[in-house]
Amino acid sequence: MTQAPPHGFWQRMQQIPRYYIYALLAGVVIWQLLFPIRLPIAPSRATLGVRDAIRNVPEDKIVIISVDWDASTQPETGPQTQAIIEACFQLKKRFAIMNLAAPMGVKLANDIALRVARRYNAKYGVDWCNWGYKVGQGNFLMAVAKNIPKAVATDFYNKPVSELPMMRGVENISSIGLVVEVTGLAGMTELWLGLIQGPYGTPFASAYTAVMAPGYYPYLDSGQMKGMLVGAKGAAEMETLVNRPGSAVAIMNVQSWAHLLIIVLIVIGNVAYFMGRRRPGEGRR
Amino acid sequence: MSRLFAPAPTPRLLAAYLVIGLVGSVILIYLLHRGLGPRGRRWLIAVVTFVAGLFYGLEFYYPVHNRKNFLTDWIEPVSVMIAVIGAFTVGLGIYSLCQVHGRNVARRRPGWPNSLAFFVAFLAMLVFGLWSHYTPVGEPAPKVLPWQNGVYEVLFNGLFAPLQTATFSLLAFYIASAAYRAFRMRTAEAALMMIAAFIVMLGQVPVGAWITSGIPLTSPWAFFRLETLGEWILNWLNMPAQRGIVFGIAVGALAMSLRVWLSLERGTFFSEQR
Repeated sequence: MTQAPPHGFWQRMQQIPRYYIYALLAGVVIWQLLFPIRLPIAPSRATLGVRDAIRNVPEDKIVIISVDWDASTQPETGPQTQAIIEACFQLKKRFAIMNLAAPMGVKLANDIALRVARRYNAKYGVDWCNWGYKVGQGNFLMAVAKNIPKAVATDFYNKPVSELPMMRGVENISSIGLVVEVTGLAGMTELWLGLIQGPYGTPFASAYTAVMAPGYYPYLDSGQMKGMLVGAKGAAEMETLVNRPGSAVAIMNVQSWAHLLIIVLIVIGNVAYFMGRRRPGEGRR
Repeated sequence: MSRLFAPAPTPRLLAAYLVIGLVGSVILIYLLHRGLGPRGRRWLIAVVTFVAGLFYGLEFYYPVHNRKNFLTDWIEPVSVMIAVIGAFTVGLGIYSLCQVHGRNVARRRPGWPNSLAFFVAFLAMLVFGLWSHYTPVGEPAPKVLPWQNGVYEVLFNGLFAPLQTATFSLLAFYIASAAYRAFRMRTAEAALMMIAAFIVMLGQVPVGAWITSGIPLTSPWAFFRLETLGEWILNWLNMPAQRGIVFGIAVGALAMSLRVWLSLERGTFFSEQR
């Protein structure tokens, strides 16, 4: 059965070709990328929690940044990782990057760390290192808790981690001052909380894509999480905190106006729906 | 423990261990396959599953002395064993992919050029990925990379990553179009959801804060600033609901884990075989 062609302004409004909507959205994105309207960004309590958690890491302990993301979520998780790395370098905290899932993330994060490290004259193996992708998820975390050099074995560049200067004295989970999980994957946080934060009391913070963050507020409220970066907004707030406005701040400009456009479109769609229903002669559906 | 799982002292001994391990595994699997019927295989898998679950359960709950109990030292070698077994599944996945796409190309099925593209991409990433991995350039990286590393960088950062990002970013356009066409206030619940969505969407972006920036932070009306209202919805309405969902999932997961551990779950471990 073929659908009757739309008649009347409001019916036509309900069925405008989707390409017009795509073009509108693309137009807003390009407009804000080329001519951004900068708006102030105020850090939320959740973002301040991440910065404070990094600041509170004792000198003799290291930070683990678990980068379980890939290119699909890179516009959000990439700037989050960069801002966290910036904070670690600024606050002079040694950190190890590692990856439990989405193995692509380990190289993407390594590239970010190399780029940022050059700015701070930080040395690989001394100020930071990359443990690489590790198979096993929960099993690996249980092994890491007991014996880090044995469980990790080699780094991203295939060197034994026990030979890295920053890994001297790093034996088990008691050598870890903070775990920061950056991810676009569900289920990773539960592993860290269940196997590391819960049993050993290791401080934990996280960074998520905006779409998955609402599911993790209970852990923030319970204190199991010290802080949380929520999507590009969290990354932009962290960039503001470390005084390095970058791609996340640019994304926030785009996202601001794209959100507004979507809201306007939903309102127009609903007005068209109700007005279309009230046309005389059609009756109420 | 460390003596039992000590690394091989020489490369020759390592090679010998590998060959013995490989041959031994093949013989063991062959004997089990021939000697055990479907019922025996099911029992074997059930027993191995139970022992594995028992090991981790006991290690976690058994009282510790100096942060250790009698199973703690076994955690690391067992985790390595599981990682090795897990690595085999990668090989199985590659084999399966090659089989499916190889058949498509051989029989010129519709869409076979896509299967051919799979082989080209797979081989290119495999060859240049391994080549680049085993010829590291060191840090700081030279301005001009060796050609194999350069090709890998182009394939990874110039092709693979942007393709994945672009594919995912198409979602934004679909969401905008779907929201316009399908998000209708047909019921009171839908209206509530829409209002909450508008507030949270605007509360998450600087433009939301800008819209209500006229309300002073010290004013009694400061609660109605969009960023505050958005946070309130997330913390006071979303969080209890999420907490309830988490409790529900946890109880379900516990029951499911017990069923899998005790091999009570129907449909697992070749139960369709008779």
